[in-house]
Amino acid sequence: MAPSPEFDQEEFVRALLDPDLPPPAGLKATHDLPPLRRFAVYRNNVVVGLIDALAERFPVCLRLVGEEFFRAMALRHVRRSLPRTPLLFEYGEDFAEFVAGFEPARSLPYLPDVASLEYAMGRACHAVDATPLPLDLVRSLPLERLEAATASFHPSTQVVPSDYPIVSIWRANMATDPPRSLTLDHAEDALVVRPRLDVEAHALPSGGSAFIETLMGGGAFGEAASAASRRAKDFDLTANLRMLLASEALTAINI
Amino acid sequence: MWAPSASERICERRNPALPARAGVGFKDAHFTAIEESAPAVGFFEVHAENFMGAGGPPHARLTRLRRDYPLSIHGVGLSIGGAQALDRAHLGRVKSLVERYEPAVFSEHLAWSTRATSFLNDLLPLPYNETTLKRVVAHVDEVQEALGRRILLENPATYLRFESSIYSEIDFLGEVVHRTGCGLLLDVNNTYVCAVNHGFVAEDYIDAFQMRQVEEIHLAGYAEDMDEVRGRLRIDAHCAPVSVAVWRLYERALSRRGSVATLIEWDNDVPAWPILMAEAMRAENLLERRRLPGDDDLRSEAPHGAVA
Amino acid sequence: MFEKKLGSAFMIAGAFAAALASVETAKAENADQEKCYGVALKGKNDCAAGPGTTCAGSASKNYQGSAWKYVAKGTCTAIVTPKGKGSLEPIAN
Repeated sequence: MAPSPEFDQEEFVRALLDPDLPPPAGLKATHDLPPLRRFAVYRNNVVVGLIDALAERFPVCLRLVGEEFFRAMALRHVRRSLPRTPLLFEYGEDFAEFVAGFEPARSLPYLPDVASLEYAMGRACHAVDATPLPLDLVRSLPLERLEAATASFHPSTQVVPSDYPIVSIWRANMATDPPRSLTLDHAEDALVVRPRLDVEAHALPSGGSAFIETLMGGGAFGEAASAASRRAKDFDLTANLRMLLASEALTAINI
Repeated sequence: MWAPSASERICERRNPALPARAGVGFKDAHFTAIEESAPAVGFFEVHAENFMGAGGPPHARLTRLRRDYPLSIHGVGLSIGGAQALDRAHLGRVKSLVERYEPAVFSEHLAWSTRATSFLNDLLPLPYNETTLKRVVAHVDEVQEALGRRILLENPATYLRFESSIYSEIDFLGEVVHRTGCGLLLDVNNTYVCAVNHGFVAEDYIDAFQMRQVEEIHLAGYAEDMDEVRGRLRIDAHCAPVSVAVWRLYERALSRRGSVATLIEWDNDVPAWPILMAEAMRAENLLERRRLPGDDDLRSEAPHGAVA
Repeated sequence: MFEKKLGSAFMIAGAFAAALASVETAKAENADQEKCYGVALKGKNDCAAGPGTTCAGSASKNYQGSAWKYVAKGTCTAIVTPKGKGSLEPIAN
């Protein structure tokens, strides 16, 4: 009797991910035919499970393109890019990039940015907990020293820039009612933050991303205001400060 | 080849067991219902990997559950049956989680799910031979040493077997238990699924299983399929109520083991909370019957290796 | 330079005071609501933890992907770009 072939996990995985390959050698079914259908159970488990994970991570993208298109697109992504850790909630890090290069979806130029927004919201969900800066404390700050002060942000805080109104698109598609018609005549940079347990996405006022990114990079309020007004002619400082306070993205103002 | 020091130390440090009651696999969708109705569930089980983020709602929910119920943590990502070394970073995450929540039980699978740095998100099968036995034993040892506790290893649902297997599944598990001192998690649905898929008698498997080492039972529903010769295939899809056949096997297992913590797993097409709760109550009633006085635990330890 | 700096400091202090007052007003007006700040979006599952692992197999079959997927069943058709409504291209297998 010939010795049984040693089990080769590499071969097993290659065949799992490529349905054109035959099942690996050395498998046994209750019959003597190549066990295609049985091996297909594993192929399904892997691929369908990961498509499901992407569908759950990117529900608005799914709603935008429809279930069938999304799953066909996700299948291609799964084959190219498997999760790198067993932490499935991290899966999809490079999905937005994949979508941006996916020809059949190129007529939806906002789709990659919506994917980036959804991924950022997922990251915010699992970020370290921190207590937002209470308004009582804000009230007692010496305002005249604010220009040179820096800000500390909640660890969940992220800015997702876009040339499309991604927050409006997201909002219109998270409702259960039929979507209303949206016209893409303006851009929205998104501020994602999870001050407590709920993840929130806000459309930043003009210049908001430059303002917040400067602050997040350790720049002072004065510096951030200058950077933002250089970037956006109609930068409104009050509106941006209001957004910072209202979103509860700050955990401290360091005078 | 009894590996004395490490495993013996670990056996001495057994954690308090799960209550011999029915528990439920926790789903986010049920959190509000659980919070509002404070159901009489014996314990909750969660997947370790879903609670490895830094913060946020998952930990808030789990902290709340842990406060009110005994907890079992079930890993799906350690790839204990894998050819490659355990992922130390992942083992570290498991350790932190177990230290943080101090569950009554930590369990994993006799399966593999990782290749190099890719996670495949499925419990893949392995041959049962000397090579794989050594690996699994080394991996279980490593996990138990890292966690400082005994773990439970679950029998898998499989759709194929390997020409290179020389052990039956029961003998293989028995050897792992013998060499590492780990305990067992008997998944009765997996037993049934394997029996159909591989053409053996499920009752024989239950009768031969090392019941003394079983500290938890899993119950779930399967999906039906067919292979290329129209042979019956059963898929462990956790998408349906527990089948009549599996309830029957469960009673058979209980008659040997006595009452033991029993989990209802329902992970796909998750039903409304009352339906899941009704499944748990059905298991609870069977456990209750086993708790009657005069019903000895572990009365018939059959010889191993009869099947599979 | 000094004047500019002073002006900038005054400007920021003033804007901050106005922003704070506005947020506090909004908070007071919405005091009876669960969420105090009016600008927050609340989606139907914005505190969902995202995809979880499974130890179950899949009952559905999709590992091959069918030959053609041409789909306009999504809501993208409700979105109008300056170039018109977007439409999806077929995905060749």
